[in-house]
Amino acid sequence: MTRANRAPTPEEFRTAARRWLSGVAPRRDSAGQEWGSGDDSVAVFENWTADEERAHTERIRAWERTRYDQGWGALGWPEEYGGRELPASYEQLYRAEEAAFDVPRRTEVFPVTQQLVAPAIRVWGTEEQRRSLLRPMLRTDELACQLFSETEAGSDLAAVRTSAVREGEGWIVRGHKVWTSGARVATWGVAVCRTDPDVPRHAGITVFLIRMDAPGVTIRPIRQMTGGSSFNEVYLDDVRVPDGDRLGPVGQGWRVTLSVLAAERLDSGALGLDNADRALALARNLPRPLTGGEQQQAADLVVRTLVQRLIGLRVTAALVAGREPGAEASVGKLYATATMRATTDLVQQLLGPRLAADTGEWGTFAWTEHLLGAPGYSIAGGSDEIQRNILAERVLRLPKEPKYPEGEAR
Amino acid sequence: MIQLDVDPELLRQTDEQRQLRDVLREFLAQTCGPEEVREQSAGPRGFDRSLWDRLAGEIGVHGLALPEEYGGAGGSFRELAVALEETGRVLCPAPLLSSVVLAAHALLASGDRRACERWLPGIATGTLTATVAGFLHSGTVVAERGPDGWLLRGEADFVPDGEGADLLLVAARAPDGPRLFACESDAGGVDRTPRRLLDPTRRQALLRFRGAPAVPVGDAGEAPGVVEGVLDAGRTGLTAEQLGGCAHALDALLEFVVQRTQFGRQIGSFQAVKHRLADLLVEVEAARSASTYAALCLADPDAGEPRVAAGAAAVVCSAAYRRAVAEYVQFHGGIGFTWEHPAHLYVRRARADEALFGTSDDHRLRLAGFLGLVGDRSQVVDRAASHPEH
Repeated sequence: MTRANRAPTPEEFRTAARRWLSGVAPRRDSAGQEWGSGDDSVAVFENWTADEERAHTERIRAWERTRYDQGWGALGWPEEYGGRELPASYEQLYRAEEAAFDVPRRTEVFPVTQQLVAPAIRVWGTEEQRRSLLRPMLRTDELACQLFSETEAGSDLAAVRTSAVREGEGWIVRGHKVWTSGARVATWGVAVCRTDPDVPRHAGITVFLIRMDAPGVTIRPIRQMTGGSSFNEVYLDDVRVPDGDRLGPVGQGWRVTLSVLAAERLDSGALGLDNADRALALARNLPRPLTGGEQQQAADLVVRTLVQRLIGLRVTAALVAGREPGAEASVGKLYATATMRATTDLVQQLLGPRLAADTGEWGTFAWTEHLLGAPGYSIAGGSDEIQRNILAERVLRLPKEPKYPEGEAR
Repeated sequence: MIQLDVDPELLRQTDEQRQLRDVLREFLAQTCGPEEVREQSAGPRGFDRSLWDRLAGEIGVHGLALPEEYGGAGGSFRELAVALEETGRVLCPAPLLSSVVLAAHALLASGDRRACERWLPGIATGTLTATVAGFLHSGTVVAERGPDGWLLRGEADFVPDGEGADLLLVAARAPDGPRLFACESDAGGVDRTPRRLLDPTRRQALLRFRGAPAVPVGDAGEAPGVVEGVLDAGRTGLTAEQLGGCAHALDALLEFVVQRTQFGRQIGSFQAVKHRLADLLVEVEAARSASTYAALCLADPDAGEPRVAAGAAAVVCSAAYRRAVAEYVQFHGGIGFTWEHPAHLYVRRARADEALFGTSDDHRLRLAGFLGLVGDRSQVVDRAASHPEH
């Protein structure tokens, strides 16, 4: 309440953000190119070589440092971490303003570091960890990736088998993680490990911060169905981790993991909107009249983009009001993945054979990147089916599935 | 594509709106349960007059969005939308949509102060019921000058609550173009044939004008704009009702699936059931977002174009209601298919609503036109010019 005296009102804040952004970045529409020229990439997952990924990461990092250094990053964080201690909603208000400017599009490892890992360190970290890690992470000097999924632990994350065994002052970690984005540019990996195989499975988990350049860490790109690589598998072969890099108490790792996952849900609101807008621009600019059916399909997509943006604004409004967002926050990701499918479907109809065979025309075959990338988002970050479980059990309060006793076959 | 520059705060329910909602929910729970709805809609008028008077008098629903100078409360469409959501939730068979939304907005949009002074106070107090005719299903009504004033001839069909309305606002063809006319029922000259209906909770009638005396409302030439604006207000009001119906279906389902057991389990614990209810929740939240935004745009055009917002909301809310009522029946199993269970009343309402102000495909085509989602039209002209046979 005391902070209310110096915090700007949402309206003042939006105006100030807009003014600051105008001074440091070009507006999007003025930077936008004519239809038919410029970059026609609509990739959902970037297909970058290691060098390209590093170069892009540096560009984003430079922008994030500008934000942080000039008081427009880490908005919700206390001053000691370089923030302004504004309510959580101001981050959303800022994002809404930033969307109108041409700034580097953040790859996944950035929100993972700033919005998922840093808050978890603030809650679960030791004083020393908070002192040494939070500023570098918020400024993105040090990035962090998630070492969560394994081949046998996808939606059922608590089934992780990567083991951490005490040895002297530290731990020896051994295992295999998959679907890690940003592993090649991250300083840290947040690893969910099993430290006690003899207790009920949720109780035997501990989380560690592992340096990605530590001996025994091997990163191999996974080639995904788009043909390129945005994710990696990470082999952890007897990696030595000091006990000072353990995040949270031994055996409490599941709670640490859940606090990271909870932050993930709020961040999916804008997913797929850029490409949907691009598909609608295609519908406007197609060099032939649209059939009635095509017009209807395009109108349906425009309605979806409107509704998806409105749902995002409702989440912001709830946060501004100091209320935990309810259903409107949880439906966001399912709605977004359906928007991505609808985008594919419209483009398929509009382009016909030009989507299947490359004629060299601008803005046509490039859509194969969207078509092949979109299914990934229905799997990553909690699959559509897991999202439905979350909606049914946490929002609609429906009864849980009957549990099989520990250790019994599923 | 659609520029959305809205203060997020405006999408949140205000304290006053919450109070209005609570009062209405409570009031309707006592006066307009499933049994009352059947009785009221089967009565001679199709609605309950005392309930109507109490809605207008005690709660002030009718005047919510009407200016104070005409006996209203000077609120906005946002408050009216809250009321319509609540009446839609219980299928309250009161002619609010026709009288308070369509007819009242036709008078307001006409800019005809004398007409507003003459009829709006009656609409605001509920003493006068009114509706519009010939707005969507462009009728064949023609206006001609008689010795003592204007006379209407022709037909208008599917007129909501057209049988009992005291005042008809009619879109007619006058010699100098389309024009709005007001036609009072006690002036005579109108045959009203009630239609047999899919949805008994909202009546419709065929109106035959046989030289019915009428007075012009607003200036000649402005009728088309007024008609479009009124239809968008109607669409927006209807989406609020649809949202209420969706919310009822979802609530009823959530209650039922935890109480009903089969195979020794609550059926709500089966993933096949849970996932479909989760999908329904997504659609209902989409409907809430779109309907709220459409009401906001009517209240404050700075928020966005009402015709776009209303069309989008119509598409979203119709689809959500369609799914909601299908699941309402399906998950109740055999009991959901009985006459006694209220689910079919919602099926009837949902499907009848879809045709009230244009089908979803109509809305989509209109939106595509507004937003230029038509491709390169010049190609059509070229082809037509070179191949006259097309």
